Amino acid sequence: MKIHVQADRCQGHARCLAEAPEVFQLDELGYNTTDIGDVPPELQAKARRGVLSCPELALTVIED
Amino acid sequence: MAPPTDQITADRPESAPVVDFDLSTHNSMQSSNAAWDALRTAAPVAWSDDNGGAWIVSSYEAVTTAFRNTDAFKSGRAVRGRPGPGADPGLMPINAVPTKTTSLMIPEELDAPLWHPYRRVFAHLLSPRGVEALRPRITYWVTRLLDDVIESGHCDIVGTLTSGVPGAVILEWLGFPEQDWHRLSAAFHNMASYVEGTPDAQHYLDELEWTFQRIREEVTAVRDEPRDDIASFLANTVVAGERTSYEFATGMVNMAMSGGVDTTTSVASAAFVHLHRHPGDRQRLIDEPELIDSAVEEFLRVYPPARTHARTVVQDTEIGGFTLRKDDRLIISEVSACHDEAAFPDADKFIIDRFPNRHVAFGLGPHRCPGSHVARAMFKEMLVQVLERIPDYQIVEDELDEYPNWTALGGWSRAPITFTPGTRRL
Repeated sequence: MKIHVQADRCQGHARCLAEAPEVFQLDELGYNTTDIGDVPPELQAKARRGVLSCPELALTVIED
Repeated sequence: MAPPTDQITADRPESAPVVDFDLSTHNSMQSSNAAWDALRTAAPVAWSDDNGGAWIVSSYEAVTTAFRNTDAFKSGRAVRGRPGPGADPGLMPINAVPTKTTSLMIPEELDAPLWHPYRRVFAHLLSPRGVEALRPRITYWVTRLLDDVIESGHCDIVGTLTSGVPGAVILEWLGFPEQDWHRLSAAFHNMASYVEGTPDAQHYLDELEWTFQRIREEVTAVRDEPRDDIASFLANTVVAGERTSYEFATGMVNMAMSGGVDTTTSVASAAFVHLHRHPGDRQRLIDEPELIDSAVEEFLRVYPPARTHARTVVQDTEIGGFTLRKDDRLIISEVSACHDEAAFPDADKFIIDRFPNRHVAFGLGPHRCPGSHVARAMFKEMLVQVLERIPDYQIVEDELDEYPNWTALGGWSRAPITFTPGTRRL
């Protein structure tokens, strides 16, 4: 499982970080700009919650 | 603040559902919410001749679309909408009923590209990582202000805590002298607490003018001799190699204060009223403290502090099948979007573990409230400590007062409580 970040949609709400701090990283301004490759199985449920929490719909799960 | 609506009455569009919707007539949360529910159901994109003539978008879909389209919908003061006789460049166009105030807010009242460097300053300071540095001060002030009343068994939880904490945290962070804190935060809070036109309201409008004067004095002082505080940092912001203007420096400090001081107050007060009236929700949070984070989001959805914002249309743009014309005004309702059944099943219910909860209490798009992370941190710490330290508090309903106007900002003027006395922590 991977996560695609549509960086131009991210507005720094940081809801993904709140749900899954082990998965998502924000830049120094608090925006999510980096795609995430291979989320470990034990973190996938949390990562999905992070994706669903984004009020800007900036995140997409890419299944293997 | 007399709304100068008679100065800018726009022509009705040829094709639009026309409604009679005067935001400023609602003097309670209940009546305001009911009006938004009715409008959203009847016409989620509508035109009203009230408020100077403006489009109103009230569904989640239309609100999110409008917030994100910053190419078409502008926040800047320089763009005034349909120029009419007496149109005033000093009016704040981000308010649904444009208010007459001379104090600019930077970056909220700017548009890209000018907006970018100023937004970066706030985004960096108030990023989740930036807020970590403030967390010990948030814990300290919640502890200390509860300590001040905990042995007495009673207080006004608004004056003591929900207004006191954001005031202390933000004003300490900015570097304003402690003797000013109470008066400054009381000015923002009380300005909204009294009916417009009454002597009390006029008194606090004068107090608000005093706060702007204090901001100007501090900005002057810290531009001459910077201190180790955030007011100094903001006031000496460098953009494109040059220190920003005195006007913009003042606008940034004003932004931090106006945005920070009486906003978290609103949702935290609403939460304490809610938990008093819904003992089941209170007990569940006491028994399952891991639900606090989702409860914070649900309180924000049900009781968003900022209820509406406005924009100016700069190019013809379609929303929901209607064409908003260049120079039209547009009112965007956060509160209505947050209560839209299409986006939130059982929207009229407070669901403590609602998920997902993509509410718009902090707005959406580029102008998303940059203080949202510090607001959440303050609100959560207040909830945690109240439920730990005075879990049996009861509101004295007869003395509970809400704001008399729910147009732009909602809130509670005062909420006296009684509780079993506890012990100090400091």
